[in-house]
Formats: sequence, structure tokens, C-alpha cells
Amino acid sequence: MKWHPRATLRGRLTLHYASLLAAALLLYAVGVSAYFLHNLREQLDSGLDRDVETVEGMLSTDAGGSLLINSHEGEAMHGELKRGYLLEVWSMDGNLLYRSEWLHGQALGPVPGGSVSGRQPGHSLQLPSGLRLRTLSRVHHMGKNNAVVVRLAVNEEPLWEEFWEMVSMLAIGLPVAVLLVAFSGYLLAARVLKPVDAMAHRASQITAEQLNERLHIENPDDELGQLGTAFNNALARLEHSFEQLRRFTADASHELRTPLTAIQSVGEVSLGMPGDANYYRDVIGSMLEEANRLARLVDSLLTMARADAGRVQINRATVNLYDLSQQSCALLEVLAEEKQQSLQTTGDGSVSVMADPTILGQALVNLIHNAVKFSPEEGSVTLRIVDAGKDAIVEIHDSGPGIAPEHRAQIFERFYRVDKARAREAGGAGLGLSIAQWAVNIHSGTIELECPPRGGSIFRIRLPKQSVVM
Amino acid sequence: VEILLVEDETKVGSALSAGLRAEGYDIVWAQTGEEGFFHASSRSFDLIILDVMLPGRDGIEVLGTLRKNGDKTPVLLLTAKDAIEDRVLGLDTGADDYLVKPFAFAELGARIRALLRRNQADPSTTLSIAELMIDPLRRTVVREGQRIELTAREYELLEYLARHHGRVVSRDMLARDVWREVARATPLDNVIDVHIARLRRKVDDPFATKLLHTVRGVGFTLSEDPS
Repeated sequence: MKWHPRATLRGRLTLHYASLLAAALLLYAVGVSAYFLHNLREQLDSGLDRDVETVEGMLSTDAGGSLLINSHEGEAMHGELKRGYLLEVWSMDGNLLYRSEWLHGQALGPVPGGSVSGRQPGHSLQLPSGLRLRTLSRVHHMGKNNAVVVRLAVNEEPLWEEFWEMVSMLAIGLPVAVLLVAFSGYLLAARVLKPVDAMAHRASQITAEQLNERLHIENPDDELGQLGTAFNNALARLEHSFEQLRRFTADASHELRTPLTAIQSVGEVSLGMPGDANYYRDVIGSMLEEANRLARLVDSLLTMARADAGRVQINRATVNLYDLSQQSCALLEVLAEEKQQSLQTTGDGSVSVMADPTILGQALVNLIHNAVKFSPEEGSVTLRIVDAGKDAIVEIHDSGPGIAPEHRAQIFERFYRVDKARAREAGGAGLGLSIAQWAVNIHSGTIELECPPRGGSIFRIRLPKQSVVM
Repeated sequence: VEILLVEDETKVGSALSAGLRAEGYDIVWAQTGEEGFFHASSRSFDLIILDVMLPGRDGIEVLGTLRKNGDKTPVLLLTAKDAIEDRVLGLDTGADDYLVKPFAFAELGARIRALLRRNQADPSTTLSIAELMIDPLRRTVVREGQRIELTAREYELLEYLARHHGRVVSRDMLARDVWREVARATPLDNVIDVHIARLRRKVDDPFATKLLHTVRGVGFTLSEDPS
């Protein structure tokens, strides 16, 4: 794999941090340099200030009023301008009274106008030769009605040399600092992200057969821990689904095999038996019964497979729950009558939902069928319709033995049976409740089981009155 | 009456041929779509029973070609695909009826009779089996001069059995035609059995000759002759 810094999270992080740091340092360096330059000039200006005072002390006028400079000590005279100052003296009306010889006639700025008063701020200036100077002007009073403008200049080049030295130090130090930080940041990121590698490695080893494995989480509170926890939770759900699927496959093949075994053994045994036509008729009849059972089971499986694939068409209409409950009860009334059970619908007769009456009716029929099957003789099965604000509720109360707590979570699972032996006798393959749950779920409803302590079970279907688009 | 049966499954094909011959039909059995198409286009039949899942040309294709050639022979499709789209496709292509596998032979017989427009008595004429008289207009039942009181469902059940008298009626047929229950997963078998038991108590128990018989593994029949 070609390594590219942008390709890895670590590289991207490092790049981002390094560029942020570089920008911040650059801003800082510019600020520092500007401040440094300003300080250097202040220093130079205060030196100039002192020089101006010295020069002022050396100025006087002769009797004729002409300017006299008593001493040229400190003034640059010849050769290179290393130390010493350059001097111009102007009369207030703009006549040049004195100019250092070193300047060879070059001016230290324009002719001072009438605006010059008191002390002037420092001012940088470049001579035609390229030499940079710092100048300071001041009005000097030499007695009444006689004032001159003293203008002093010193070499500014040493200041710039110092400034550039500092800038070049910053220019070398800054990239080094950024590189150093980037490098250590990269190493740090590698250390922080090391658990990610470990998690990826571990996750890549988890297959369908080892869904019980989990990622190791060092700190559940940090971001990686949260990611790992989320992944582990997903794994747990996946494991649960796989477990359900595995159980479903096992149960389905068991359910399919049972009638097949019956057909085969009944057929084989009776082939070896002498018998009359009636005997064989009976044998064939019993084989056909098993074949019917198989056909019905395959039908149910197909229905559910189609439901799982979302291929069931739902034709919604306004359904009055009381009416639908009564119709479902009417269909199964004879079964309750046979057991002298009372089967009745009670509650609110005005609650309607948007639903497919055939599919929802199937859920009710399955639940009522179960209720009748598991309620004792002379027991009662009652449907209750409740208007619960946003939801409509259908409750199916039976007077059966109830369902033990350890079975409650699983009774809606396909093929799940509370009592394996008894349920088969009573018919059905353990699909009724899961079909009922599916039928309720596609209407955005829920189905729950409640077992009150006084006995019996209550299956509660809760449907939104306002149909939800799925 | 000649029926062309197109069915590749040997066991199913021979069982259906034998069963239909026993009912008095002449059967030509083709085992592939090509063979079926050849028979259908070379001579005329009263009815074609066509399996959808055939090797080579499937049933829908054969049916489509026949209909394109102007053949109007009634066609009953046998399909293992219990899906609405397959039924719609079959009926759109020109099938007159369809039956989903697995099906009860009794039901196939009923469908064939319906397609051949036979055994379609005037729905208002009185049905009589032995001494049992059923008046569809007044919905009354009389046996040996005695009026028998039935509930609405019991009456419909009896009338349905009487219209198919002498033949076996499966629980699926009753669920669909008497209870008008479309969902096959609805647990109606127990309900049907209870109703049959009650009907038997009212119609048969007081009398010497038993008319309502259970054919184990298949269904029920209303007939003077128990076999």
C-alpha cells in the first residue's frame, strides 16, 4: 500500500495540527518582530533625544546673531558612518544654517515648515546612497525671538542588522519547532490510536461462528471506548439474530421432519402388514393428514418469508376495532361453545384505526384461538377495546394458566412453545403468535403480554390511531 | 371429454391422470412444455391443465403462445408459487383459473367441473340426496318429511356439500367457499370440524342412513354410499 499522509487518520491529524501550529507561530513571530522593531527604534530615538540635548548645549549665537557651534565632538566627520551623529540646523524661516560635511549636501528630509514645533517624533529616512538614517527634529530657543530647528540623524543600519538577525533566528526556529511538534504528535497519535488497530485486527477475526467474541475496551468513557461499546452492542444484536435464525432453522426442520417421519413410518409399517381395504384406507388417510400438516406448515413459512421480505401488500381501510373483534370472535365462536366458554367483546365501540382488516383480523383470530385453546372448560375469553388517546388498544383476556415468566420473552418467537408435548397435541406449529406479532407490527403497532397474579394472560395490541407511513 | 395434462413431475402426472380417468375424462399427458404445445396446437381439447414450472418452455410461455394463436381452450394453471404476482401474471396471460400446489385432488375435480360448465345446476332448484331435500330459495332443509333447523353457517355448509354430492370436499375448499377466508394460515380446521359434527347431529343422527361422511386425510362428502 502506498503510504500517503492523508490516507491515515493519524497522518491527517498530524497534518492539521502542524499547519495550525505553523499558522499560530507565524502570527506570533510577526507580532514579536514588529514589537522588537518598535522597541529598537524607541531606544534609538531616546539616544537621539540625548544627543539633541548635548548638541543644543553647544549652540550659541555671536553678536551678529550668527550661529556658532562650540564643539563638533560626537559628530561624524569622515569615512564610514559608524558612530556619531549628523547634524542640520535650520532657521525658523527655512534657511539652512548648518549641515554636517559628511552629508555632502544631502538633505536630512524636507525643509522644515512653520509647522515644526516642540519635539518631533523619530523618523526614518533613506539617503540616495541607500543608507538608512533615523532623524529627530527639535525647535531650539536661543534667547528671545531667536529659535532654530535642530535636526539630528544617526545610522539606522545596526538596528536593521539586529532586527534581521532576530527574524532569521525565528525563521530557522519556527519550522524546526513545527517539525518537532508534528513528529511527536504523529508518534502520540500513533499511541492514542493503537487501540483502533487492535480493535480492527480483532474485529476482522470475528466471523459468524464466533459472534460471542467481543472487543477489548480499555476505557469505556473515551471516544474509542464508545466506538468499541457500540460495536460490541452491534455484535450482541447480531449474535442474537444469528441465534434466532439458527434456532428457527433447527425448529423448522424439526417441524418439517416430524410429519415426514410419520408418513414414512406409517407407510413402511403398513406395507408389511396384511390388511383389508378399510385398513389401507385408514393408513392412507393418516398419511394424508400428515401431508396436510406439512402443506399448512409450508404455507405459514411462505407467508412469513414473504412478510420478512416486505412483499406483503397492505390494503388499508378504516377498521372499527369492535366490529373486527366481533367478527373474529364469531368465526371461532363454535370452538368456545364446545368448551362451554364465554367468548365476548366489550369496551369502546367507536375506536377505529387505518389497517388492513384481513391481516389485522388474522392477528386477532390467532390470539383468540390461543385464548380459547388454553382456557379451561367453562372458562372465559374476553376482548376489550380501549381508547387510549393516540393509541387504540385491543386486549384479549383469557382464563388459562398464564405463561411462566421464563417463557414470556420468547413466546412470540417462531416455533416457540411453552409446552412442547401438549402444544403439538392441540395442533399448530407454534407460529400463531409470531404471525400475530408480525401482523400488528406492520401496522406500526405493538403487542405485549401481561400475566396478572390472579391468573390468566392478557395479550395487549396497541395500534396508533393515526396511521404511520412505514 | 378430453383433457390435456401438461405436468413434468412423473408421480404427480400419473396420479392426476389416473384420478381424472376414474372420474370419466380422457387424458392426454404431456411431460414437457414442447410436447404439450405440440398436442394443444395439433388437435382440440375441452380443457388444458398446465403446470407453470416446466423444464424448457414453462407453462406461462406455452399459454402465451397458444393464446396468441387464437386458441380459446380453457386453461387451468398449476403453480407452486403462492404469490399474488404469479397469479396475476398467469391470469393476465389468459389462464381461466389457477390452483396452488399442493392442492387436494377433490379441489382439482371441482375446478375442472366448473371450467367445463358441467354440474352447474340452476342455483334455485331444489337439491335432493336420498330423502334429504334442500331448498336454496327458502333455505330450508327437510329429511324424510321432517323439517331440520340449521344455523346460517350450517345451512351454507350443507348446501355446499350437496352441490358437490358424491364427491369429496376438502377443508381448504370449505374455508374458502363457505367461510370466505382468504388467508390460508388462519386456523379454521377445528372450526370446520365442529360445524361438521353439529351438522351431522342434526342431519344424520336421527336417521338410519348416514349421508355425511368424513374421508380421513381428505375432507368430507355427502353421499348415500360411504365409500
